Amino acid sequence: MNVLTEEPSDERLIEEILAGNDSAFVWLVRRYKQKIFGLAARFARDADELDDICQNVFIKVFENLGTFRHEAPFEHWLARITVRTCHDALRRRKREKYHLSLDAVHHQIADGASSSRQAAEEARDLLEKGLSRLRTEERLVITLLELEEKSVREVAALTGWSEANVKVRAFRARQKLKSLLEKQYAR
Amino acid sequence: MHDERDEQLGRLFQAVRALKPDTAAVEKGFETRLLAAIEERRNNQALWSFWTWRLVPMFTLMAIIVGVVSVASDPARSGDLFTLLAPSGYDDIW
Repeated sequence: MNVLTEEPSDERLIEEILAGNDSAFVWLVRRYKQKIFGLAARFARDADELDDICQNVFIKVFENLGTFRHEAPFEHWLARITVRTCHDALRRRKREKYHLSLDAVHHQIADGASSSRQAAEEARDLLEKGLSRLRTEERLVITLLELEEKSVREVAALTGWSEANVKVRAFRARQKLKSLLEKQYAR
Repeated sequence: MHDERDEQLGRLFQAVRALKPDTAAVEKGFETRLLAAIEERRNNQALWSFWTWRLVPMFTLMAIIVGVVSVASDPARSGDLFTLLAPSGYDDIW
């Protein structure tokens, strides 16, 4: 088992992990955890759920690393696992009949101004309310497209659905959100 | 068609996009928790595998004993499936 000192490549780390080197896995986790947390936070309702999702993602990675084919970059494989795990979390929540409660995950606004922060938090609450009324597939698609700014092709690759399917789900999600907005502003 | 509601929705997405999730607090100590969870799963799997293999001979022996006892206590068993399925006293009806 080798001791890793310099910044090793993903391939090297994967080889080490498969050879039983747990510290190589810690390297890999440290390299990608921020991205995974950032993506999962768009779906998690609180800090505990966020931690659970991210742990599940990396446990799946650890247990299935032997099946990784190196045909695409490791990061893409990891992103697909993350999206699938977030989808599972959303479906579980739907079964639990979860209703809106916001939330222990703190958000930081890019420009830091307090008035725009308040406006953004109100927007987030309103959007969260709307998203919680969507089907899980619609929520997944619209979040990846609009909040993570992925393309239709990228969303299709991440979810394993066809591009046409992604477009249809995005269209339905937008229609539902617009009708919710209409009701909200009509009050 | 791009109506007013589309613009409202666009503004809403834009505002929420600007609100970057701050996950630093949850990320703290994540590797330690993760490795502990993996270790726990490893131990559970090892335990299951250990007990499964240890219990296989015992269950096999039990199945053999039950089979022997059931054959020994019912020597007049018929090979006819319909006889086994027929309710007791079935012949008396006719």
